[in-house]
Amino acid sequence: MFSLAIRNFSARKLRALSTAAAVFFGVAMIAGTLMLTASVNNSFDDIFAEVNEGIDVTVRPKVAVEGEFGTSFARALPETLVEDVWAVEGVDLAVGAIGDDTITIVDEDGNRIGPPQGGPPHIAISRLPEDAPFQSFTIVDGAHPAADGEVAIDSITAESEGYEVGDTIRVTGAAGERDYTVAGIGEFGSGTPLGGASLVEFTLAEAQRLTGKRGRVDEIDATAAEGTTAAELATAISAALPADEVEVRTGEQTAEEDAGDIQEGFGFLSTALLVFAGIAVFVGAFLIFNTFSITVAQRMREFAMLRTLGASSRQVMAAVLIEAALVGLLASLLGIAGGFGFVELIKGLFKAMGFELPTSGLALEASTVAIAIAVGVLTTMVAALNPALRATRVAPLEALVESAGSTEREHERSRRRTIIASILVAAGVVLLPLGLFATDDIEMALQLLGLGLVLLFIGLAMVGDRFVGPIASVLGWPIERLRGVTGRLARENAQRQPGRTATTAAALMIGVALVVFVGVFASSIRASLSDTLDRQFVGDIAIVNTDGFSPIPTRIADEVSALDGVGVVSPTTLIPAEIAPSANEATVGGIEPRTLGRVASLDWTDGSDEIVANLAPDEAIFDENFAEQEGVGVGDELEITGPSGDVITVTIAGITTRSRFIVDQVALTRDTVLERLGARDDTTTFVNFAEGADPKATREQVDALLAERFPNAEARSQEEFKQDRENEINQLIALIYVLLGLSVLVSIFGVVNTLSLTIFERTRELGMLRAIGTSRRQVRRMIRYESVVVALLGAVVGAVIGLILAVAAVRALEDEGLELSISPSLPLVVLIAAILIGVVAAIGPARRASRLDVIQALQYE
Amino acid sequence: MEVGGRSAVRCEDLRRVFGAGEAAVAAVDGVSLGFPSGELTSIVGPSGSGKSTLMHVLAGLDRPTSGRAWVAGTEITGLDDGRLTELRRDKLGFVFQFFNLIPVLSAEENITLPLRIAGRDVDAEWLAALLETVGIADRSTHRPAELSGGQQQRVAVARALISKPAVVFADEPTGNLDSAASTQVLELLRRSVDLLGRSVILVTHDPRVASYADRMVMLVDGKVSSDTRVEGEDQVLRLMQTV
Repeated sequence: MFSLAIRNFSARKLRALSTAAAVFFGVAMIAGTLMLTASVNNSFDDIFAEVNEGIDVTVRPKVAVEGEFGTSFARALPETLVEDVWAVEGVDLAVGAIGDDTITIVDEDGNRIGPPQGGPPHIAISRLPEDAPFQSFTIVDGAHPAADGEVAIDSITAESEGYEVGDTIRVTGAAGERDYTVAGIGEFGSGTPLGGASLVEFTLAEAQRLTGKRGRVDEIDATAAEGTTAAELATAISAALPADEVEVRTGEQTAEEDAGDIQEGFGFLSTALLVFAGIAVFVGAFLIFNTFSITVAQRMREFAMLRTLGASSRQVMAAVLIEAALVGLLASLLGIAGGFGFVELIKGLFKAMGFELPTSGLALEASTVAIAIAVGVLTTMVAALNPALRATRVAPLEALVESAGSTEREHERSRRRTIIASILVAAGVVLLPLGLFATDDIEMALQLLGLGLVLLFIGLAMVGDRFVGPIASVLGWPIERLRGVTGRLARENAQRQPGRTATTAAALMIGVALVVFVGVFASSIRASLSDTLDRQFVGDIAIVNTDGFSPIPTRIADEVSALDGVGVVSPTTLIPAEIAPSANEATVGGIEPRTLGRVASLDWTDGSDEIVANLAPDEAIFDENFAEQEGVGVGDELEITGPSGDVITVTIAGITTRSRFIVDQVALTRDTVLERLGARDDTTTFVNFAEGADPKATREQVDALLAERFPNAEARSQEEFKQDRENEINQLIALIYVLLGLSVLVSIFGVVNTLSLTIFERTRELGMLRAIGTSRRQVRRMIRYESVVVALLGAVVGAVIGLILAVAAVRALEDEGLELSISPSLPLVVLIAAILIGVVAAIGPARRASRLDVIQALQYE
Repeated sequence: MEVGGRSAVRCEDLRRVFGAGEAAVAAVDGVSLGFPSGELTSIVGPSGSGKSTLMHVLAGLDRPTSGRAWVAGTEITGLDDGRLTELRRDKLGFVFQFFNLIPVLSAEENITLPLRIAGRDVDAEWLAALLETVGIADRSTHRPAELSGGQQQRVAVARALISKPAVVFADEPTGNLDSAASTQVLELLRRSVDLLGRSVILVTHDPRVASYADRMVMLVDGKVSSDTRVEGEDQVLRLMQTV
């Protein structure tokens, strides 16, 4: 049986290849993601191992609450601690250092270098003493900064931005901006790009001044004297310093944790990529199932003949499954090769967004190969299981007699299948709302949704044959009207094997459903965002970081207030914090009670604008959903812990609803957040122009001030602010579309495959059509229309499902202020896309069909 | 036999060679024939005699290696695929051994298919007459799977006649039928010659089938070995046994 399977496999190389294409994309995505993850992880391990090389112990500020952003909100350490470390026995050297990512390198026009929006951070580091054995930043050209007016920058930034030794470079930080002379160009570690980050090395004093950390350091690095181990030293230092302020670790631990933090962040991306890969594999499985169903049906006579020769049904099954395994293996091997392409695709997409993924030494690990092959082979075999079972049911007699088929048993099976399918659909329909509404645990929700969708799609594909007839009749009607008999035949052909058409269309349905879901969900987010901003942002401009989310200096508020024409300035700030007694993390904002009412408008569940205006330092405003989650109401007392561990007690004064743009989860007064919870910066500063002031002139003044003094901040009008957020969403959506597009591509292969096999089956019929005078063009047209009907079927049903899912998801998030918005052009786009897909998929098969040799086709059996 | 100008189909010195060099085989080797309208001609011969190849070439389904052929006054040798397709559509009808009906279309739709492909209107009277003639008027809405083999083949004959072709080619039309159904189909072909004045060219190796023809052309090794008027089944049988 094995040799027969191999024969079959190699006799139909082209078919094997096109079947393998179904799994290829999914496997390539998995292999690529694993390669990318491994290589990024290795890169970061290397980077942080190099950075911490030679450091025995690190001392850092204790972080009580980390928050979701990479930025550290914890307060820097007092520099006096360096002396305390020196004093510990066993310390050979102790050095205080700055490592701060709030600085910005700006070009001559005052714009942040690198991508305009977001992009990798710019990091200030302080020069280490020459005698320190740990020098992670090594100079390759020029020298380390010797004076406060000098800096050294990393070679990658120098090259991409064209800085040379002796040039002037402008850097801004919390203390304002300053021009520096580039004294040297260096490499971090062994020159690995830090995910595109730019490094600027200052003297320690200048680094402290610029980042607003005079008298403070971000980290103290120590080496042990002869005879003391790193672990012993860590224990000794830890004992000598205030335990509630510092975190003492060995250099090795620090390297691991730093790498781990970034890897964790990247882990999210790789999980997301694997989800999309999973979708592609799932779609591919449908196509494998379909292809094997068709080829098994075509070879029934052959199987029957094998049975008459004495083959057992088990052997027949083995023959089919072995062939499937070979196809899977082929797909996996090609997929692993394709994985390199996928890595390039992802890197390209990220580069377009300004992020350089460090993938030094892209490595193909044995585990990647094993996983890719396992996924490819198992998926193919599982998908071919049902067709293989069907092959075993052939009666030996069917080899000799044209069988009408045991209709009764078919009937029984079809009924059983309908029952199973209904159970699957029902289970899917139950799981989806559970995922949407019943749980607050994101991971759990996603798993429920994923499982629900898988069951729903499989169930729909199984009962799909029932709907193919009527739906294809409706969809095919216009073609039939317009194109007469070729249209009629095309539509009839699509309906001829409803199960086959249903599975082919189902593969496309999945992709389209997800694309439509994402599209509708995204447009709903955009619409809600726009609505939120319209309602809540009533000021003239908002000043934010150019990357859209990073903090901005608090001094901006003071300096902007001093400008002519500026009426009200109301800065806000945000920090991550922990709420007691629930110990949940929350985003806590700081607002200016006196001015907020002039630039923003809030909706209240419990309370009124008066509450904002009179908000006391120990009072808080809660968002409705968060209050509900915490089970608290007005008058309740709670403890809030800031990022550096400061604890304050507040009383809830009011509860707002759908006002998260202003009150994220909790709002306190800004003074409280700055002074008692350790915030250093603002997040958004709202500005209202004075009455009678020329808005254009005033705006120009603000722009000029920001460009001059705070290049990493920019003023945005309501419209611009909206546009920025929309661009961010669009960028993400584009990325998702590309990844989903691969699944749609897989389903196009499915249509091609099914058409090709179908044409092969109808060879004699096509020969007859040609013999009685059908032109080649008419044959091509017929195939094309059939393809379009199948594509329309998948796309229309998919769009409807996607729409239902999106409506349900938006409903589920209605509390968060999400409202449904469906683009009116959606149906048109889906129709046009489906027609295009159908036409493209038909190109090859139609050409082949029209070139059939008429005589051979007629004699073909 | 004179190559007449009134012939629905004729050919001159037709050769069709398969393969090249030493392996070359002339399936049709210098055949000149004329098939007048209103005549039922059978082409007979043992397997490999070239009868099917001759039919394919005469019907414009295959191209001769040399020689010329005309259908309804048009020389088909040298026509491009598009013109040949048109010719088949307008002037020729086909009946195949395996019926070759479209399973998804009803009997009536199968019959009118050539007209619909050509984009021509269906002559309702003619259709009704045909349905009556082939005896499936009461089953015209049935699909092929719901018809017996004989009924399917009669539908196929009607399909061949719907476009009022100059000539109908039938390739072993009774090969898959029992004798009662065969008789019906053959009588139908006979009638289409006698009543409708078509030229029918029938390829077969069955003496009983051949005896329904007016004339019998026997091919041996790609050459015409005899060309006679049919007088009865015994004569046909005798002639075929000489080979």
